[in-house]
Amino acid sequence: MVKKIIMCPKCKHQLTIEGVAGEKKYLTCPNCNTRGVFNFPSEKVIQSEPGANAIEIKGLTKIYNGTLAVDNLSFSVKKGEIFGFLGPNGAGKTTTIKALLGLIRSNTGEFYINGYNTKNDGIEAKKKLGYLPERANFYDNLTPVQTLNFFCELKNVDKSIILPLLKEVGLEESKNKKVGNFSKGMRQLLGVAQTMIGDPSIYILDEPMGGLDARWVKTIREKIKQLNKQGATVIFSSHILSEVQTICDRVAIINNGRLIAQDTVENLNQYLKIKPRLEIIIKNINQKVLEIVNKLDGVVSAKIEKNTLYITCEAKTKVKIISNIEDAGYEIDNIITLEPSLEEAFMKIIDMDRGGK
Amino acid sequence: MTFIRPKPIYTVAKKEFIDNIRNKWIIILTMLFVILIIAFSYVAGGQTGDDTFGNMQNTVFGLLGISSLLIPLIAIILGFSTISGEAETGSLYVVLSYPIKRIEVLIGKLLGLGAVISLSVLLGFGFGGIIIAITVGTESFQGYLAFILLSIFIGLIYLSLSICISSYCKRRITSIGGGIVIFFWSIIYGTVIIAVFLGAGYEFSDFMRGNIPDWFFNSVILSPSDMYQTTVQRAFDVKTIETAGFSVSIPEFLSLPVLLIAQFIWFIIPLVIAYFLFKRRDI
Repeated sequence: MVKKIIMCPKCKHQLTIEGVAGEKKYLTCPNCNTRGVFNFPSEKVIQSEPGANAIEIKGLTKIYNGTLAVDNLSFSVKKGEIFGFLGPNGAGKTTTIKALLGLIRSNTGEFYINGYNTKNDGIEAKKKLGYLPERANFYDNLTPVQTLNFFCELKNVDKSIILPLLKEVGLEESKNKKVGNFSKGMRQLLGVAQTMIGDPSIYILDEPMGGLDARWVKTIREKIKQLNKQGATVIFSSHILSEVQTICDRVAIINNGRLIAQDTVENLNQYLKIKPRLEIIIKNINQKVLEIVNKLDGVVSAKIEKNTLYITCEAKTKVKIISNIEDAGYEIDNIITLEPSLEEAFMKIIDMDRGGK
Repeated sequence: MTFIRPKPIYTVAKKEFIDNIRNKWIIILTMLFVILIIAFSYVAGGQTGDDTFGNMQNTVFGLLGISSLLIPLIAIILGFSTISGEAETGSLYVVLSYPIKRIEVLIGKLLGLGAVISLSVLLGFGFGGIIIAITVGTESFQGYLAFILLSIFIGLIYLSLSICISSYCKRRITSIGGGIVIFFWSIIYGTVIIAVFLGAGYEFSDFMRGNIPDWFFNSVILSPSDMYQTTVQRAFDVKTIETAGFSVSIPEFLSLPVLLIAQFIWFIIPLVIAYFLFKRRDI
């Protein structure tokens, strides 16, 4: 049973409700009698068979100076997938990653990387792991070659991979310059090169594109896709939701240290009932077209502004709407389809978690 | 499974050495050592009435006050941010995501930074020593060698202290504060102990009368840099020391082995504390 404090959207009256994950609760505000519905977020956690998970986090709780940063968080990442780890600032993403890597001590929780318990087999667990922190800073007095040489030695990897790695991330020409003179983007690329040492089977990238310009973002995105094609599992946290939507197989969303959703982007949109939107520009538009559209099953709402018809509908209704408009003799100039985005799902889930409808 | 593995320790030590040997302050201080030892040797030679360099013992005793400040300074510069600074910039996140234990990182850092201090002292004092040996002779050569080794050791003591502070402090800036405190302790210790001496009812004239309590001498173990000076004097087989402008005899109980053991304790305890702090630390 989950307890939630929510606020009436009309009179702002606060009320406490109880329900189970995924339950739809019909409510009436005791103050102003406004009726509404509250969906308790799903807390589905995939329980795969042993050995199928690259990462498993079980019951992580972390308290910083009396403040609960992560609250009994459990989730797993399947081998070979690109997994997006999302949440607003301060949600607990970096804390979770740090606890997994043993950089911070958790109050409770067990962590498995490639089946190795990180507490008992930390060295084994990290042998096939590549990690890029949000701020990839290295040693200012060393060159990229010396930096990668250091990390190669830590993993017992042959140094012959250094130059090909630098070439791969586009830092070949800067190989003998001091890292202290590098731009943020170049440091991040050196960080990416560092993660690839020893051909890891798991990559953990914490906000890898944060603060980078479009050129570097594209380079890193392509690199993530390429690594995944080669069979690697990639977990990355990001606030650039469009990037996550483009490349992730599944996402987990956390808020206030709790897992509030975990699924594919498509399933999340379906679960949250986020519909596609159509913007149809019609030359001979008039009010009658609204009647035609509103009669169709699957149309949620429709309105006209100037020469554009705005429709929110079920995905399967889109073709039917267009053919009906054309059959009625309207001349369509242009059609824009706006598919449900992760951003909408993310905002809706966070809003729901904060007690909204 | 072995507790500590030599290879990762060597890897970290090598990285620390390469990264820090280029630190401009270390280069400047090493050059300063060479200049100071030559200058002090010349001054020592002048005191004897000869227009030449002084011998090794006189040079070392002239230099001791400055070296007991400069070497701790080098150690503090190298060690104060080695954990807190790297945690703040994020490079430590990456290192600890590799298959390496925290104790291996700590020992590697100590050895790497210790090697930088050792090289700096060896180059600075070694070069000066060669010049004196050529111009004046190799009298007190063994004492000079002990001086170099003890200078390296005092560097390691302050390195251990500054790594301990760096393991405790969350931020680089607070580590700087900690470094300043341990540095100034070596400066103000003499004043503090004289104040305690006078506060205990003694007078300055007691120094001349030789009326000095045992605890006054024993307390030298509270300040590594003062202890370093006494140990060097012991190494040259000197019986009296200058304290607060007065010449007093070093009591027998402050023998070379006792002083070395006390220095070793100053080295090892901060290191053990640093290990437990670093092990439990959230990065």
